Amino acid sequence: MAKTLESTELHEQTVLDSPWVCLVWNDPVNLMSYVSYVFRSYFGFSREEADRRMLQVHNDGRAVVATGSREEMERHVEAMHDFGLWATLQKADA
Amino acid sequence: MTPFSKTASGTIVAGFSAVEADIIGDLAAQIAGMLVDLAGSRDVDPLFDSVGIGGSAALHDDPAIARLLPDAYGDDADASRDFRQLTERGLARRKVTNAGIVIASLESGAGDVELDEQQSQAWLRTLADIRLTIAARLGIESDGDEGEADGDAAESLRELYDWLAFVTESLIDALEQ
Repeated sequence: MAKTLESTELHEQTVLDSPWVCLVWNDPVNLMSYVSYVFRSYFGFSREEADRRMLQVHNDGRAVVATGSREEMERHVEAMHDFGLWATLQKADA
Repeated sequence: MTPFSKTASGTIVAGFSAVEADIIGDLAAQIAGMLVDLAGSRDVDPLFDSVGIGGSAALHDDPAIARLLPDAYGDDADASRDFRQLTERGLARRKVTNAGIVIASLESGAGDVELDEQQSQAWLRTLADIRLTIAARLGIESDGDEGEADGDAAESLRELYDWLAFVTESLIDALEQ
């Protein structure tokens, strides 16, 4: 039987192909429930995935919420600003 | 306040006292008033205006506006400036529109509101914009921070800020029912 690829390898591959990321930064105002709701309703994350990334924002100060082309990441950042979330984009290797 | 809930037909309803409805309407009007100039001025090229171009060159001096219309690039001031000039007007305009939807939904029913999907989303975003603006005025800058502002006015603003968190939670719960 073939071994399943490690998920970390898949992740690194994705980053190489898609050189821009959308980051959401922690802020003291937006509620944890709101941030998780935005991640679910806008990015289509499952509740578990949305909560994981929301907690990453809360605990680490920021989380990558999307990876892709610069234009796509600009659209996501603008959508996050519509929600009042503090988001930026940058090159994935920056 | 009677918390938000979802009706059988899928709309979202809540009941506010006259005072509560006035407060939310007034705060939404303040957000719209703060951003309306950035949403488009009269003496601009109509072609640029039609596609939303014409934003500011830099982050706004007012900390509340700076937080509502933040830089898009954390590490590239030139790219942030270019992006802002292309998108700031549209972002400000959408926020003004959302605030207008909140105000209109409060005007009809003596404190009872009934929201469709689009109106609920406008409420969520405007509540976030209001809380971000209050936090900027109070000087809330980190988790658990209550802000540096002092006095009775600041205390009332803090109570309002917490109540608006409750309103937001209630709306999210109803949207997910």
